[in-house]
Amino acid sequence: MREVVVKVEDLKFRYREGKKRALDGVSFEVFKGEFFCIIGANGSGKSTLCNALVGLVPYYFTGNKKGSVVIDGVDTDNSSIAELSQKIGLVFQNPFNQLSYTASNVAEELAYGLGNHGVPRDEMIKRVEYVAKLMRIDHILHKNPLELSGGQVQRVAFGSTFILEPNILVLDECTTQLDPLGSEEIFDIVKELNKTGITVIMVDHDMERVARCADRIMVLDKGKTVCIDTPDAIFSNPDIVNYNIEAPDYVSICKALKERGYYSGDYKITEEPTVEVVKEALVK
Amino acid sequence: MAKAYNSYVKRDTFKENISPNVKIWPIFSYGLSAIIFPNIYLGLGLIVFLFILAFFSKLFKGFTKIMLGFGIPITLMLIFIHGFYGSKNETILYDFGPVQLGLEGVLHALKIVSSLLVFLGTFYIMNHTTYTGKLVASLTASGVNPKVGYLVLASLNVVPQMQRKLSVIQEAQTARGVETKGSLWHRFKVFVPLLGPVVLSSLTDAQERGMTLETRGFGIKNVKQTHYVEVFYTKTDKIIKYMLIGFFIVTLIITILMRLSVI
Repeated sequence: MREVVVKVEDLKFRYREGKKRALDGVSFEVFKGEFFCIIGANGSGKSTLCNALVGLVPYYFTGNKKGSVVIDGVDTDNSSIAELSQKIGLVFQNPFNQLSYTASNVAEELAYGLGNHGVPRDEMIKRVEYVAKLMRIDHILHKNPLELSGGQVQRVAFGSTFILEPNILVLDECTTQLDPLGSEEIFDIVKELNKTGITVIMVDHDMERVARCADRIMVLDKGKTVCIDTPDAIFSNPDIVNYNIEAPDYVSICKALKERGYYSGDYKITEEPTVEVVKEALVK
Repeated sequence: MAKAYNSYVKRDTFKENISPNVKIWPIFSYGLSAIIFPNIYLGLGLIVFLFILAFFSKLFKGFTKIMLGFGIPITLMLIFIHGFYGSKNETILYDFGPVQLGLEGVLHALKIVSSLLVFLGTFYIMNHTTYTGKLVASLTASGVNPKVGYLVLASLNVVPQMQRKLSVIQEAQTARGVETKGSLWHRFKVFVPLLGPVVLSSLTDAQERGMTLETRGFGIKNVKQTHYVEVFYTKTDKIIKYMLIGFFIVTLIITILMRLSVI
């Protein structure tokens, strides 16, 4: 039986100044080592949910919270955000929010969290070097974080979370400042981390990427869970358009070929299987 | 883009090799000594010493500029107040007709100025020979609460952060056709309405910063904070620290003896 590392039960949350609930009875479980994606239209509650997972709701984002969030056996209501940071790390949507504003250079910025966790200096230096190389920011370690470009800050922000080696990584649209190539580089790293056993919970609007990476997907709409299933099942479902979600183009290609009688199998959601389907159709 | 605040520039001088913890001591040791000493001679002597220290720390130009820039106007102002209107004035130095310049008032003014300059000078040298990150690391390593350390660093970074916001808003205004350049008065008129949004957004940022810091483990209980920057405390540092404490104690003893008219 797979180990549950995140358990959310009937989570309801309304912001203090809000009239409607941002989260309305959300329940789900995430297993150890899983790549779990959360999708939904703007305002569906994705970021609120991410903030609830790391304990920022309701401590920083105040309001009325009901239900429970258990991270690696610890209820977020019974733990401080700082203590939870040993188990779960969040990469914010806006990378500038991730900076500590206390460091004079990127190396210190990366090491900031390690210092808070009491990691010895020798170990700290090793981890900073490793993460800087991994994130391809080793050439800017001496630079001031305030003088970096948006993309560079995003890499620093990601590195500063990952360096703490949390078991669970929450990514809330964390590549908005990066160009497509840079974005892919980061996701390659995330996939590699996931392969090493780190649980990834990702919010993203790029459905092709979600289809490629996710083990399971949760669809949120107006703060409610619509469904939780595999990428194939989610994107093959024609009803998802009702929730302002557009399936990857590959699904449309398969659908068009099916309608014209060139293909009879399941819809494909990623590039390579779709290429095979198209090849098959061309032969026909 | 705004540069981060950092008055420290590596100059490879002996002063940089002293522990930041120890470099704070002269501010109190010299400053308090100048205050308690009954006459101005110690204060003046310390100012001369600080000029020599600044020279060897490769800070002479900047140090002179700030000492004169602050010292001259404040000296003139205090001499005017205490020299002409001091209640203890007995010895008249010069008679201007309606007002007289009194020796006691002038000495009192110089005493205040010399004490202030000793504080200013020691702080300037400490600030320009110490990397702030190292100072905070050193303070927290010696037992100061990490929250106090954060307060020091964050305060120093508020200015560049606000500058950055200001330049972003200014760029947005320029893009919308608002003329942000021109005469001083015009620039002032454009600048003033920006202050509200900049200050308010900085307050919002402070909340977001708190969030970020906690998600990165700030304030975690029962963990002794460590630092990326190297913290050192050598035998020489220890000796310098005791010498500075000794200097204050000796000054205190001499002051008491002088007050009791023993010497």
